[in-house]
Amino acid sequence: MLPANHFGEKKVKMSLFGTTSGFGTSGTSMFGSTTTDNHNPMKDIEVTSSPDDSIGCLSFSPPTLPGNFLIAGSWANDVRCWEVQDSGQTIPKAQQMHTGPVLDVCWSDDGSKVFTASCDKTAKMWDLSSNQAIQIAQHDAPVKTIHWIKAPNYSCVMTGSWDKTLKFWDTRSSNPMMVLQLPERCYCADVIYPMAVVATAERGLIVYQLENQPSEFRRIESPLKHQHRCVAIFKDKQNKPTGFALGSIEGRVAIHYINPPNPAKDNFTFKCHRSNGTNTSAPQDIYAVNGIAFHPVHGTLATVGSDGRFSFWDKDARTKLKTSEQLDQPISACCFNHNGNIFAYASSYDWSKGHEFYNPQKKNYIFLRNAAEELKPRNKK
Amino acid sequence: MAICQFFLQGRCRFGDRCWNEHPGARGAGGGRQPPQQQLSGNNRRGWNTTSQRYANVIQPSSFSKSTPWGGSRDQEKPSFGSFDLGASTNRNKGFGLSENPFASLSPEEQKDEKKLLEGIVKDMEVWESSGQWIFSVYSPVKKKPNISGFTDISPEELRLEYHNFLTSNNLQSYLNSVQHLINQWRNRVNELKSLNISTKVALLSDVKDGVNQAASAFGFGSSQAATFVSPGFPVNNSSSDNAQNFSFKTNSGFAAASSGSPAVLGSSPAFGAVASASSAISTSAPAFGFGKPEITSAASFSFKSPADSSFGSPGFSGLPTSLATGPVSASVPPAFGGGSSVAGFGSPGSHSHTAFSKPSNDTFGNSSISTSFSAPGSIVATDNVLFTPRDKLTVQELEQFQSKKFTLGKIPLKPPPLELLNI
Repeated sequence: MLPANHFGEKKVKMSLFGTTSGFGTSGTSMFGSTTTDNHNPMKDIEVTSSPDDSIGCLSFSPPTLPGNFLIAGSWANDVRCWEVQDSGQTIPKAQQMHTGPVLDVCWSDDGSKVFTASCDKTAKMWDLSSNQAIQIAQHDAPVKTIHWIKAPNYSCVMTGSWDKTLKFWDTRSSNPMMVLQLPERCYCADVIYPMAVVATAERGLIVYQLENQPSEFRRIESPLKHQHRCVAIFKDKQNKPTGFALGSIEGRVAIHYINPPNPAKDNFTFKCHRSNGTNTSAPQDIYAVNGIAFHPVHGTLATVGSDGRFSFWDKDARTKLKTSEQLDQPISACCFNHNGNIFAYASSYDWSKGHEFYNPQKKNYIFLRNAAEELKPRNKK
Repeated sequence: MAICQFFLQGRCRFGDRCWNEHPGARGAGGGRQPPQQQLSGNNRRGWNTTSQRYANVIQPSSFSKSTPWGGSRDQEKPSFGSFDLGASTNRNKGFGLSENPFASLSPEEQKDEKKLLEGIVKDMEVWESSGQWIFSVYSPVKKKPNISGFTDISPEELRLEYHNFLTSNNLQSYLNSVQHLINQWRNRVNELKSLNISTKVALLSDVKDGVNQAASAFGFGSSQAATFVSPGFPVNNSSSDNAQNFSFKTNSGFAAASSGSPAVLGSSPAFGAVASASSAISTSAPAFGFGKPEITSAASFSFKSPADSSFGSPGFSGLPTSLATGPVSASVPPAFGGGSSVAGFGSPGSHSHTAFSKPSNDTFGNSSISTSFSAPGSIVATDNVLFTPRDKLTVQELEQFQSKKFTLGKIPLKPPPLELLNI
């Protein structure tokens, strides 16, 4: 009873969707009341039956599906699906396996299929209604990114791999519709039609335009000095993709517009996920930015890092909105649901300190947080 | 913080009051707490400071002439908020000149270079102390090419290697490889921090033209190495990062730098001007792009490490080993000075290079590669250095060379035998 009370007051504020019930589920945490452990300092909702190994990717269902369904791919080779109810309760629904760790997941636009990309060099299409998964893509090296492209005249799955290719697949055929060469291994990508951005090793950065058929639009010199880690496209006020945020391993995110009126002024970078804040005299610890996600409604962004924190930012006002408390593990992935009410983030080891810090016994979590209020932009310009 | 451009030109109107750093006036790199920044503020401030720097540049009435300021700023791209030392400023200008970075630099350019080098040293120190991910490429200036000697390995790739080795019960070789990679990184960082003459030479040319890291995995050659997808894209300036990556092993000087390649073919002065190492190279094989002296000299640094590595260098071990065994000390020239090895570098370089990749038609051009083939004589001459006669290989090594991919932990240290190379 105590844990419930302890959470009680917060519960009202923290309820995801306006109702105040169902926080019992958070009690499924083995640790009950958070006395000394710091696995959930933000007191967010824990997803039940979380994966047994590090979570590499999270994705919420599109608006075409009623309700919210969360997909997570993990290093335990599995992809799990939960239904997230308005009360905050999470119900495990189904699971599929790959023969290698799952690096990326995405939904089709109609919410009927989930695409999963894995280190086993394949990508699969998971039909949720029949709970069957079939292979739809093949690469020569682990597939790092997977995205669904829905264009007026075609639909396909885009896979980016460490074999330095970007392939486009019609799910009905085993041959790719198109193969584009990348300068280096694909590290991260994002797609918002008609734009796609791929960031590769060696600080490669390419923008593609997807109208008609995917083609390279521009190669961009990296605004960051270190390895690219994650990328997310943002939209302008007219809901058209207009630029992207790129995160690196060096605790820094670059905001880059594709065709800004004044590049020197409009494009900028900011430091994040560092230990000493802005005190530059003492050496700070610098952490990698593991994921970036834009709020679908407000246009503000969230970053999650190896330091075990997440932060919300307003890129137009160029201010930080919030930084979380530090979790005891890095945050390896994050995403927003389709209407921006839920922010999901995964707490699991991201290998940022090598194998010595890997503890297979350590529990991995996915947390859900009410994101409607905290991500409101600071001031409209 | 940002270096004050006007101060560098000797005409800062604010003097001590200036919000930007006046190197030398305040102690370069020492005073990083300029009054207005209030960096001890909260995080939000920190971000705001970034925008404040922008504000400095663009808006405040004191900088009322936004145009010239904006103009010069545009040139270098905003270094604010990203690079504390602002060593990036006027990089373009300094390097725009040159094919002859070492022939009489104007004081301004010298200052720029100094800034750049200081910036690099600083970055290295931060890198070491910050605990950030070490297997990352690095460039001292945004939008400029990467510096050689660093490889990009993502945490996921490393982790996958770990898991693979775990399942094959070969964890020790994983650990060795990782340790080796760490040592390589550390060596490179120390080199950059200590900055003796040849490092400087190499660096400056790196920054100017870009070195192509044969990115991946010094050793996690596995999947990337075997599938040597020829980098089909044009070498163009817009990609600051390495046009060619030959996932095998370090730049090894094969890939021409982004902007460099057309220049390479044409301009011998470029070779002649840069460090004496170039002279040897330019005579031998300019057409192959590894005439690019800076790359070769840079290459000497990256080769140095593999020489003592436990997993040697897949495939190209011929070259790196031979170069590494040469006196790869501070002075670059000797590494290439040995006539035979230079000539060997020229042709067999591309020769063995093509063994592992489709000839990258763009940079080298098919013609140049065939040229190398037409000169088997030079290859033979350096046979003992670049290739091991088959009978000198152990069974295990031979097996490795014959298999499609190298197995980590068993990568031979000796160069492959001539016969096994597919031309």
